[in-house]
Amino acid sequence: MEQILFRHNKPERCVTFAEYKSEGGFAALKKALAGMSPDEVQQAVMDSGIRGRGGAGFPTGKKWSFVPRNLTGPRWLICNCDEMEPGTYKDRILLEANPYSLIEGMVLACYAIGVRHSFIFIRRGYEQAATNLRRAIAEATAEGLLGENILGSGFSCDIDVHVSAGRYICGEETALMNALEGKRANPRAKPPFPAIKGLWGGPTVVNNVESLANVPYIIAQGAQWFKETAATPEAAGMKLFCVSGHVANPACFELPLGMSLGEIIDGPCGGMRPGSSFKACLPGGASTPYFTADHWGVPMDFDPVAKAGSRLGTGGIVVFDQQTCMVAATLNLVRFYARESCGWCTPCREGLPFVVHTLEQIESGNGSEEHIAILKEHVKYLNYAFCALAPGAMGPVDGLLKHFEDEILEHIKTGNCPCRN
Amino acid sequence: MPKLIIDNIAVEVADGVTVLEAAQSVDIPIPHFCWHPALGKAGACRVCAVRMMEGPVKGIQMSCMLPAQDGMVVSTTDPEAVTMRRNVIEWLMINHPHDCPVCDEGGECQLQDYTIAGGHGIRRYDGKKRTHINQDLGPYIQHEMNRCIQCYRCVRFYQEYAGGTDFGVMGSAGRVYFGRFREGQLESPFSGNLVDICPTGVFTDKTARFRARYWDYDMAPSVCPGCSLGCNTTPVARYRELLKSIARRNEAVNSWFICDRGRFANGEVNDPQRPRTPLIDGVESSRNEALKALLFRIAQTEERYGTGSIAIVGSSRLSLEAALLLPTLAELTSSGALCYFASEEESGRTLPLFQLLTAGRSASQRDVRESDCIVVYGCDPLQDAPMLALAIRQAWRNGATVYTVGDGISLPCDVTTVDRLDAVPLSDAKNPVLIRSAADIPDQLATTLHQHDHLKLAVLFPAANSYGASKLALKHLGVSFEQAISSGDIKGVISVEADIPQKLLEGIPFVAALDWRMTETVQAAQIFFPTTAWVEMKGTFINHEGRVQRFNKVMNPGVPIRGLDPAVHPPHIHRTAPPGGEPQPAWQILAAVIEGLGGELITEPFTGEWERLRGLDAECEGVIINDI
Repeated sequence: MEQILFRHNKPERCVTFAEYKSEGGFAALKKALAGMSPDEVQQAVMDSGIRGRGGAGFPTGKKWSFVPRNLTGPRWLICNCDEMEPGTYKDRILLEANPYSLIEGMVLACYAIGVRHSFIFIRRGYEQAATNLRRAIAEATAEGLLGENILGSGFSCDIDVHVSAGRYICGEETALMNALEGKRANPRAKPPFPAIKGLWGGPTVVNNVESLANVPYIIAQGAQWFKETAATPEAAGMKLFCVSGHVANPACFELPLGMSLGEIIDGPCGGMRPGSSFKACLPGGASTPYFTADHWGVPMDFDPVAKAGSRLGTGGIVVFDQQTCMVAATLNLVRFYARESCGWCTPCREGLPFVVHTLEQIESGNGSEEHIAILKEHVKYLNYAFCALAPGAMGPVDGLLKHFEDEILEHIKTGNCPCRN
Repeated sequence: MPKLIIDNIAVEVADGVTVLEAAQSVDIPIPHFCWHPALGKAGACRVCAVRMMEGPVKGIQMSCMLPAQDGMVVSTTDPEAVTMRRNVIEWLMINHPHDCPVCDEGGECQLQDYTIAGGHGIRRYDGKKRTHINQDLGPYIQHEMNRCIQCYRCVRFYQEYAGGTDFGVMGSAGRVYFGRFREGQLESPFSGNLVDICPTGVFTDKTARFRARYWDYDMAPSVCPGCSLGCNTTPVARYRELLKSIARRNEAVNSWFICDRGRFANGEVNDPQRPRTPLIDGVESSRNEALKALLFRIAQTEERYGTGSIAIVGSSRLSLEAALLLPTLAELTSSGALCYFASEEESGRTLPLFQLLTAGRSASQRDVRESDCIVVYGCDPLQDAPMLALAIRQAWRNGATVYTVGDGISLPCDVTTVDRLDAVPLSDAKNPVLIRSAADIPDQLATTLHQHDHLKLAVLFPAANSYGASKLALKHLGVSFEQAISSGDIKGVISVEADIPQKLLEGIPFVAALDWRMTETVQAAQIFFPTTAWVEMKGTFINHEGRVQRFNKVMNPGVPIRGLDPAVHPPHIHRTAPPGGEPQPAWQILAAVIEGLGGELITEPFTGEWERLRGLDAECEGVIINDI
């Protein structure tokens, strides 16, 4: 199968600068700076149909187009590499194998939007990735591919690597900007949206690592080519799926968008582990409602997954086998979110611990029917939190109530966790 | 001017007004914790949920975050919105202690009110509550973090509004903690406002702890006498003891806040040493005896030393009512001098600046907050009038440039220091304000004012009624007491809440004093009348800009029950007045003296051109007076 982001990957090590260049790297940058206007670059990204790979799936080109054209003062590009969604590790795999696509993609994005200084906001634990990025930035700068007057085009742009202090909420773009400014990582009210008023009050674009790393290939090989790498006509491009859990071969794969869940698990993942059978999965990271065996045929693309009642999210598929207690699994996930709430708004700060407590009661055999009502109420009313953290946290709870209410009732009736016995 | 419909009521509001405020404007209360008119929106508490039925946004929305727009149809009674609001209360009550009976906020607690109003009555959460360790924040503020509902008002006020740096928020998720990095007294001179803005009992007034419930309070709209700004307050008293003061909103003056110096100033009113009984030659007497003795000694002095031997001395802290009666008294005593200032120095640094405050020239605190260019010239607002420093900060937050002429002035904002006044680009500013404390006027200032018609002036006078005293002194050709005695003719003094130093009274055989404070003048007086402090009377001050403000009576004068000897309280003998209840407003004592001297009985001090101040409402913004 054709690979895009993984095409330069070398076994057990990071690709070198020389290798990346000799395999066609930075050709897109040369092409763009030599013969394309910023608008043309932006249009190509728009035409490719690429949707943001960080979870929300917002069209990348459209996001860029929101930045006001004729505004004086600095504007910013931020690469969001604060990958902290449980079950998601694609950006780490990508950057540990190849930091250059991201660097090239960021320069192209800066060119398209008119940004002079950009940032990579990287998760604290990603030490190897940060090292790779810093090395790549130094190498690219030395070759004139980054910094002042890139390739003699007159266009200049810098990239700074900022290592996060480490909180899940820093992945939320406005909280990220607060963190980058040295403030508490609380989300900001929208509007104003970052494209109008973001980092230090300037227009700001925040893109995921994978979105930006795809840009060079869109420019080099064309929007139409990129679009057609997908498995269905509706989808656009390839996607990094990072699979974990009870499959035979859990790993990060680059697969065409629109492949069905079943194809992914039975294909590259090698099916379930011996002795395991598929019970459920998180289709797109820890904040997405569960898929069950009923969803085996759902094409893994943004709209079909949403239509099936979940979200493609980051493409972090976490697979659970028949022995998994879904109440316990959900409890584990919500505990993470309760801990990672920034503490700004009431529903998230107080509601999530309430959900944790309720799930604990059910899991420990002290549950009652009233607890189900409490969970349902929280699924609904945590939607009215300040940012998307709490609604996301309720994704798995929503899935639990939708697909596994029997299992909850069994806990309540027997006063025990059926999976533990 | 967007028009919208809230609960079937048509509302039209100004641009930028939130849906929450629009609802308030037609008396539809929407609960809110984090939103505060002075601090703006935060969107943190989520208790102001409403349903947007029609218009540009739909569904459940936070009314504090939404600017009102044309075509909006809002329902505050929508079942889902009501449930959301009830849920928010339930979430907040998960960890809030049920300690209302021992909480000082009980009875005036927003959380208490909304919990009752919101319909959350049955506790569903049966886990443990979160607890915190409290901090010692100094002698004024009591800290009780377990009660915190994380509305972030305190930190938004302390850091953003007031520029404090030693208090903030730490931690995340359910562990957010509002306090100092280390225990210790809060450094901000505005820290007391935490008590006012905290919607529950995290910050309470330590000086009034466990003393009274809201429904026990004696309260009235009042004005702070601490400096010449005239910030609006609501003093709180119980059992004849002034317990505490709360900031009272006046958008023209102090907005929502007051400074700590004005807030924590109960001591003098409650002082057990405060003189509360009329004295004749050091002997306690009745009011009537003292009045008779006063009239006798006035006559005696005149007889002995001739007309013009008595000086009538008021002060700039004396209420306008009493100050207005001094000329009549001076006339009846054929006095040699009518004085509104004790020393030549005070007179010299007040009157010349007062004369610069021509119509339209003086700047209110609101003018300062809304200015785009502020010049601090030869004064230290944080020392002289702290609330003006806070007003300067608000201007700076809105983009104003703040200049200080000369070094060494610290303000809670960034400043540009210039060497000379004419280095400030005043011509480029739209509505500049110059701030000057009472002092001599260098030529440069006069020239600058002459050159820049649009430059407003905020003068920091020494006392609450300096403006009124100056006005009367100029009108009645008053001289300073120091100057009056230089002739050697003054042999008698009637001091009305004046602070005359002992050395100026040497060689003057007859001294009468009216006051509520124990001063050097009171100690030197042969005849003394106790007057009421500002909280014990209805009265009037004219603040630094010429704004006349009425304050109402909060409490009856008398020895606080707390200060009474257990042998005296509870009382064993029948009496008609409380112990120590003799103090009267100074103007009423003066009226009695005037009547005794053969003048008309005065029942209303505001006559003639002052008459229009009679019905002045203590709860209005006050009236600017520069045409009287």
